[in-house]
Amino acid sequence: MFGIGLKKRAKQDLRDTPIPEGHHLLEVNDLKMYFHTQDGIVKAVNGVSYTLDRGETLGVVGESGSGKSVTSLTIMGLIDMPPGKVEGGDVLYRGKSLINMTEEEMESVRGNDIAMIFQDPMTSLNPVYTIGRQLSEGMRLHKGMGKKEALERSVELLRMVGIPNAEQRVKEYPHEFSGGMRQRVMIAMALACDPDILIADEPTTALDVTIQAQIIELMQEMQQKNGNAIIMITHDLGVVADIADKIMVMYAGSPVEFGTRDEIFYNPIHPYTWGLNRSIPEPAIDEKHPLTPIKGNPPSLVDLPKGCSFAPRCPYATDKCHNEVPPIYTTETGHYAKCHYCNDKDFVAKNAPATSRTKTAPIAEKKGADA
Amino acid sequence: MADSNVLLRVENLCKEFPVDSGFIAKHSKNARSVHAVNNVSFDIKAGETFGLVGESGCGKSTTGRCIMRLIEPTSGKVIFEGNDVASMNAKELKAMRRDMQFVFQDPYASLNPRMTIGEIVSEPMVIHNTVPDKDERIEIVRTLLDTVGLNPEHINRYPHEFSGGQRQRIGIARAFALRPKLIICDEPVSALDVSIQAQVLNLLSDLQKEFGTAYLFIAHDLSVVQHISDRVAVMYLGNMMEYSDWKTLYAEPCHPYTQSLLSAVPIPDPDIQASRNRIILRGDPPSPIDPPSGCPFHTRCPIAQAKCSQDKPELREVLPGHFCACHFAEPNPIKESSIEL
Ligand SMILES: Nc1ncnc2c1ncn2[C@@H]1O[C@H](COP(=O)(O)OP(=O)(O)OP(=O)(O)O)[C@@H](O)[C@H]1O
Ligand SMILES: Nc1ncnc2c1ncn2[C@@H]1O[C@H](COP(=O)(O)OP(=O)(O)O)[C@@H](O)[C@H]1O
Ligand code: SF4
Ligand code: SF4
Ligand SMILES: [Mg+2]
Ligand SMILES: [Mg+2]
Repeated sequence: MFGIGLKKRAKQDLRDTPIPEGHHLLEVNDLKMYFHTQDGIVKAVNGVSYTLDRGETLGVVGESGSGKSVTSLTIMGLIDMPPGKVEGGDVLYRGKSLINMTEEEMESVRGNDIAMIFQDPMTSLNPVYTIGRQLSEGMRLHKGMGKKEALERSVELLRMVGIPNAEQRVKEYPHEFSGGMRQRVMIAMALACDPDILIADEPTTALDVTIQAQIIELMQEMQQKNGNAIIMITHDLGVVADIADKIMVMYAGSPVEFGTRDEIFYNPIHPYTWGLNRSIPEPAIDEKHPLTPIKGNPPSLVDLPKGCSFAPRCPYATDKCHNEVPPIYTTETGHYAKCHYCNDKDFVAKNAPATSRTKTAPIAEKKGADA
Repeated sequence: MADSNVLLRVENLCKEFPVDSGFIAKHSKNARSVHAVNNVSFDIKAGETFGLVGESGCGKSTTGRCIMRLIEPTSGKVIFEGNDVASMNAKELKAMRRDMQFVFQDPYASLNPRMTIGEIVSEPMVIHNTVPDKDERIEIVRTLLDTVGLNPEHINRYPHEFSGGQRQRIGIARAFALRPKLIICDEPVSALDVSIQAQVLNLLSDLQKEFGTAYLFIAHDLSVVQHISDRVAVMYLGNMMEYSDWKTLYAEPCHPYTQSLLSAVPIPDPDIQASRNRIILRGDPPSPIDPPSGCPFHTRCPIAQAKCSQDKPELREVLPGHFCACHFAEPNPIKESSIEL
């Protein structure tokens, strides 16, 4: 259908095209992607919406299996279709739909515009090639660099991500690198094309906290320098408190709440967000606060509850919740939640957990004193 | 410390694993080894929760496994209720294991997939022949399942029919079957989502209140360890760096490593997180095959002095009940001026 003309177009980086009036860098509109399996239809992405601009960081949190990774893989065109199928919605990058792109166009987007870092760096690095060769490959392919130039740039990139003795280390193989260093290589690889959007899927989950702190610092420095947007997928609310501007909380394939970092931490309106908040051990200083777990387990995505998917575990569930899918309620600021009662101010005031902003003795004061 | 309350005492525990196998290991004088646990000492009191934290590979699990003698320590003593575990024969070891049980990290791998959960939970009672009567055993298992929040009707189901959190409950029910005095919990909630993790943590606390069991709680998540522990110990590269009661350790760590580790944990509260002084350590932990001379932390320590690369600091009692292995131990030893390197 598309001819030679398209090949030429694919060479032009989309990220150099201006964002059309009234659009954002990335817009995900009611995206639905289901897997058609023998066991039934897995509704892995069931109506995801958000917007993202340059320089911004979106944090995506939620329990295992809630659809965090699959959402991003769908955006990147990395889901095998079948068994996957986009059932609705759209993804606009600089105003252009990614959903309808050819594989060839998507390849160019992945090489130039949107880069992804995967959770396990060992599975995404090829064990039989040197680090230098793997770093060079993308730049030779997408930037048309020569072998020597690409290798020089690789050394530079490794140095940038804080790997000492980079001239030597480009000649080494992935198994000669520690977990933290491999993750830095992945970041270097993602940054090699200076992407518009960096998607990081649990980039630090397999790492120790002292190394995690190094990697997060690195991603933030790179963002400051390049102005790229970041999508940070994590189950760690501490990490999103640290770096996210906006947060999407996912449950059973859907975002149940989306808002700015302040809205999600200090003014959450969805019972699941409250439940997460009460489940994490607080950094106690004088006394320990009891944990209030969310009872039960997440539902199967093949057999979602009839009404609100959180109803079987929600302490506030009513008959209506069990029978009717809640609509999305959006405030003027774009903060939204999917719950029958989240626009009821009294309901929220009565049930939302206390935060360090609502408590009388702010913990922040005490922390500042010991510095 | 002659505390009659002491249930378990670990003295100068060492464990080395050979690195080179075969010919070289057998015939070379300088065969290399992993110094997984290096001169570790601490004690656990009856009924308390002793938390053990540290980065991956620092020797937490190896310490736990040596205590139960699932692996043989290279040297050192493990004294449980006054008896040295290292010198026990098979019969004594079996008797000891009635009082000391293990809960593993991986709720998927640690349960035999071919046994029903009833068989799994009653196995310790069968091995130790504590309840010879089968019907009585089944009754006890049903009560245990109920106690850990599982449906007693599911007694004949198999592990694969349960979620991760439920499997961890099965492991806990099994560990409690003999009402042991000590349970070594090795990362019991690390594989679980936060909402499920909170369920299991509460369960462990409730059971401890009911049965007075002591826990050695091994984990890498500092917030989880703080929540559950009475006292907390920090390991690095096989060495015990510091331990004290949880409140002191978290508020006024005396070891630069503890202080750095705590400051690296992101706090799920943006206001607090933004106002903190963070210490970002440079570099990776060194290899336990070739540990640094002197203080094991000196290659990354922001306040290391010349002395640190030569003399190894001993673990000493810097304040009553507060032990620390650093030449320059004092509360929050890394000052603001030395943070950005
Ligand atoms: N290829 C596939 N075929 C069928 N179902 C799939 C496939 N890949 C993922 N799923 C299902 O889609 C759902 C969402 O998975 P996803 O990997 O996005 O979860 P996640 O939120 O990233 O979880 P985690 O925190 O464990 O990484 C899960 O129920 C998963 O089992
Ligand atoms: N069976 C073994 N053989 C060789 N090395 C081992 C063995 N078990 C553990 N180690 C090594 O001992 C060190 C401590 O391991 P471990 O106690 O499992 O750490 P942790 O539980 O703190 O993550 C690591 O360097 C690990 O690779
Ligand atoms: S719609 Fe009902 S069940 Fe769902 S989160 Fe809101 S209150 Fe709970
Ligand atoms: S002994 Fe020296 S290197 Fe070791 S922790 Fe103390 S100050 Fe740092
Ligand atoms: Mg995932
Ligand atoms: Mg371990």
